[in-house]
Amino acid sequence: MVDPIGNALEKYMDLLSARQKLVTANIANADTPGYKTKDLDFQSQFQNLLAGGQPQATQVAGLQTKNDGNNVSLDREARLLSENALRFSVASSLMKGQFKALQSAIDEGRSA
Amino acid sequence: MSLFSTLSVSASGMAAQRTRAELLVENLANAETTRTADGGPYRRKDVVFETQAASSPFASMLDSALNGAPAGVHVSEVTVDESDPEQRYMPGHPDANANGYVAFPHINPAEEMVNLMDASRSYQANVASMSAVKDMILKSIDLLR
Repeated sequence: MVDPIGNALEKYMDLLSARQKLVTANIANADTPGYKTKDLDFQSQFQNLLAGGQPQATQVAGLQTKNDGNNVSLDREARLLSENALRFSVASSLMKGQFKALQSAIDEGRSA
Repeated sequence: MSLFSTLSVSASGMAAQRTRAELLVENLANAETTRTADGGPYRRKDVVFETQAASSPFASMLDSALNGAPAGVHVSEVTVDESDPEQRYMPGHPDANANGYVAFPHINPAEEMVNLMDASRSYQANVASMSAVKDMILKSIDLLR
């Protein structure tokens, strides 16, 4: 990537898509008996990713388990779904800004 | 990369809920059916969901790192209600036994309707997650413009 900020943004977006995948899997398995909600600890996994590691998914503690052993909370997943999408949107705007700045430098500041 | 396989996770959820809705509608339609190909009254069917590795043609490094975690869902089994059918006294009915009782399926329409609503809402939840992921993909593509 172009620079440290762009690099961090790239990892951030990678991690957001990994998390979105877990949220999507949780929603798809909302009626699967025995399924346990999976998520990743965003802070620590982001540090891990910046250090060159790979994201690790963990089970979420403290959710109410239903009679069939499933503990997916659709409200929680819906919140995370929109939160991830919004964060991703912000990150992609910032990334676009990075490219614009680079383009401006290439054009010697002549074009916007 | 990873986002495209996320779409197949949503799709697996939609397919599973659709299968469930089909069976529930079949139950409702056959709530009064006294004759089937196997003989005897219709028997109530239901699905069993099971997690499944999301099938994507392009498995990425990130996927394998989230070892086995990203899971779609599929219908692993269709269960058939084997409980004794409901006996109704209808001596004039062509399927009545010697005592005048007819075996009817053990189906409670209210229960089927509630399950059908549940399947429909779950389907909608999967559509919502697919649309959120689609927006993320579009945002990424927009970086190229």
